Amino acid sequence: MNRLLLLSVFVLTQITLLAQGLDPILLTRPATDAWPTHNGDYSGRRFSTLNQINQSNVKHMRLAWVYRAAPGHTAGSIIGGEGPDVPEGGVAAAATGAGSMTIKSTPLMVNGVLYFTMPDNVWAVDARSGRQLWHYFWKTRGGIHVGNRGVGMYGNWLYFETPDDYLVSLDARTGKERWHVEIADVKQEYFSTPAPIIIGNHIMVGTGGDSLDVPGFLEARDPETGALQWKWWSEPLKKGDPGSETWPDDYAMRHGGGMTWLPGTYDPQLHLYYIGTGNPNPVETGRSRKGDNLWTCSIVALNVDTGKLVWYFQSSPHDTHDWDAAQTPVLIDGQFNGQQRKMLAQANRNGYFFLLDRTNGKNLATAPMIETMNWSLGIDAKGQPIPNPAKEATTDGVLVSPNSGGATNWPSPSFDPETGLFYVGTSETFSVFYLTDTDPHPEGYGAVQRGAGSYGGTLRAIDYKTGKTVWQHHYPGGVGAAGILTTAGKLLFTGDNSQHLIAYDPANGKILWHAGLGANVSNGPETYLLDEQQYLVVGAADLLYAFTVEE
Amino acid sequence: MPYRNVALGVALVLLASISLTAQTPRAGIGGGFTGRGYPVYDSAAVERGQKAFVSSCGFCHGANAKGGESGPDLLRSVLVLDDDNGERIGPVILNGRADKGMPKFALSQAQISDIATFLHNGIRAASLHGVYPIIDIVTGDPKAGQAYFNGSGKCNTCHSVAGDLKGIGSKYDPVTLQGKFLMPRTAAPGGLQVAGRDAAQIIVKVSLSSGQSFEGKLQHLDDFNVALIDSSGEYRSFARDGDTPRVEIRDPLQAHLDMLRKYTDADMHNLTAYLVTLK
Repeated sequence: MNRLLLLSVFVLTQITLLAQGLDPILLTRPATDAWPTHNGDYSGRRFSTLNQINQSNVKHMRLAWVYRAAPGHTAGSIIGGEGPDVPEGGVAAAATGAGSMTIKSTPLMVNGVLYFTMPDNVWAVDARSGRQLWHYFWKTRGGIHVGNRGVGMYGNWLYFETPDDYLVSLDARTGKERWHVEIADVKQEYFSTPAPIIIGNHIMVGTGGDSLDVPGFLEARDPETGALQWKWWSEPLKKGDPGSETWPDDYAMRHGGGMTWLPGTYDPQLHLYYIGTGNPNPVETGRSRKGDNLWTCSIVALNVDTGKLVWYFQSSPHDTHDWDAAQTPVLIDGQFNGQQRKMLAQANRNGYFFLLDRTNGKNLATAPMIETMNWSLGIDAKGQPIPNPAKEATTDGVLVSPNSGGATNWPSPSFDPETGLFYVGTSETFSVFYLTDTDPHPEGYGAVQRGAGSYGGTLRAIDYKTGKTVWQHHYPGGVGAAGILTTAGKLLFTGDNSQHLIAYDPANGKILWHAGLGANVSNGPETYLLDEQQYLVVGAADLLYAFTVEE
Repeated sequence: MPYRNVALGVALVLLASISLTAQTPRAGIGGGFTGRGYPVYDSAAVERGQKAFVSSCGFCHGANAKGGESGPDLLRSVLVLDDDNGERIGPVILNGRADKGMPKFALSQAQISDIATFLHNGIRAASLHGVYPIIDIVTGDPKAGQAYFNGSGKCNTCHSVAGDLKGIGSKYDPVTLQGKFLMPRTAAPGGLQVAGRDAAQIIVKVSLSSGQSFEGKLQHLDDFNVALIDSSGEYRSFARDGDTPRVEIRDPLQAHLDMLRKYTDADMHNLTAYLVTLK
């Protein structure tokens, strides 16, 4: 072989390798020809600058393909995991929980390939055709299989978390496992659901778990080895540390909860990672944890290189209703009181909308989103709600709105910089909270809630400057719990509770297009450009749909 | 009861979809499974284990194993969580922990196994938060409840204690009874609550632009479709586009839904206490 040919082969190989992997630059600008991280970019806005699909042609959207994901040990699956063997054709016993085998993840799309998950399962699918490239199945040791938000990507490597608390790295080209590391103890009822977020050479890894009063944490790990770089605990470690004045004792802190079960957002200029923490434990009674219980139910800003807390804002001081603050902290750059500001907005599970200055955590606006909310005595000087102690669970029950599922939950909101509106699906519900554990040291939840009725669900467009709802669409049937995408095509995509994918005018809520799917939209819709064609991709249960427009 | 116009945005009675959105499933009913699974422990072994625990361990660890003056909470012990059937707990019992002041206990393997079962059962009970038993909800004042029933609650507008509610306190336990008045329509998973007893049936009237109209039991309603079963048993389905056709619904349980925003907790407790007396 002559040297020229050899050189050409070498160069080609290099190009191919580069083309396969995720160019990190994609993570720092709004994606158009890729969806390289959970929210599309670091901001959590879920706004795309693409406008090939727009108000004038949305009526001509057509189905490009449908993919049905078959979880478990299927023919050709790549098998990993520490759990017992599962025979081919059988879904793991762990996977039989109703509703768990649903696409809640937002697929990443990199170089023409979609990567997405269900608990214990990862798929690579051709983004042009919907054909499967590979499927990876993790044999589980257990853990709650309620959902998985997806994968993170670094070069050619993929990362996902499992219900039995492993961080697993796969080769994106083949689906072959590179390594796995244990991040938490499944026997302590930790279960891991977030999509890892890759920032520089850090993998941001969070976890979940509410049943047995364990402390929450967020970790950064090395993308090459999985080695721990830093670990931030959701509670102070010992009495005397900052924040410990909000707990009665060390024991309450070390069993205080504060899970990190959804991915956060990132400001590259400020070098801060923003994440909402989970509720304190025991979940539904606060007798053994008097105080505000920092840093549970808080939006926290962490230095991405050190894991050090830079600021916090607590959305539910001393929460007793399971209203974690895990909902996406959406980064907004825009005007506030005539000044250009770096801000952060969150539609919180407790029923409030919050706007913060993301350089320092100072509150700019707090406003209730739902009319039925009845648990708060108002807002304090810091913009934090003041919980009404009379609405903490009693043995004979207290009627509370919203229910523990909250006014909103994990489905992704969206911010459209062109309308200046923040979009979120809310539920207007009531529950009765009954105290069931009267011990001075309750364990687990300590109380039980029972649904008492619902006024249904609403898609809301909120003015980020005030938190006021500018327009709303009340769903005539059921609640709306799907994720939201907005685009420069002046479109808002989300799902209702009657199996429709719907396109709205983001300026006024007018319905412009809809399609009936095989199930309710179960993830956040996403969009990308491939071969000059804009795709809209959405998950509904075990189905993944791709739509395009014909010009 | 008058018709209400859906297009005006008046809320329909909808199902609480708690489990649809909550991160943690309600345990037990199709909601995934815990890290330890949902083992069912032999109740005789739990009972034996409890006796052995109380006599040997309770003094320091508390009779309920949640910790006492000198011993730690064992229901939150990582060692106990990692144990399966006494293989981790056993050596601690037999050897003690001299460094922490815990003496040795010469218990048999069977006793150790029973104590382990008792502890694991306690952990399981704490983790199965969807099925915690409700303790005692009859704390209100029945007289105040009666006054509310006939007064500001306006329950007597539709109900009579000598008629439809006769003996209701014997028919249901208090927890069920309270649930019935808060939201009488039983839950069906995901979406609009349309099925149920005839008395609780949502009625819908669909008026076409031609002037023709159809009325019947609501089967489905979303932004693009409304479906009903008419008095002849015929299923009828209509495409919707905004206000066309005109859709009006009548929910006999609307008052119950409206009350959710009006009850004080005392009203709820008093009304429960009153209804319980209707034997």
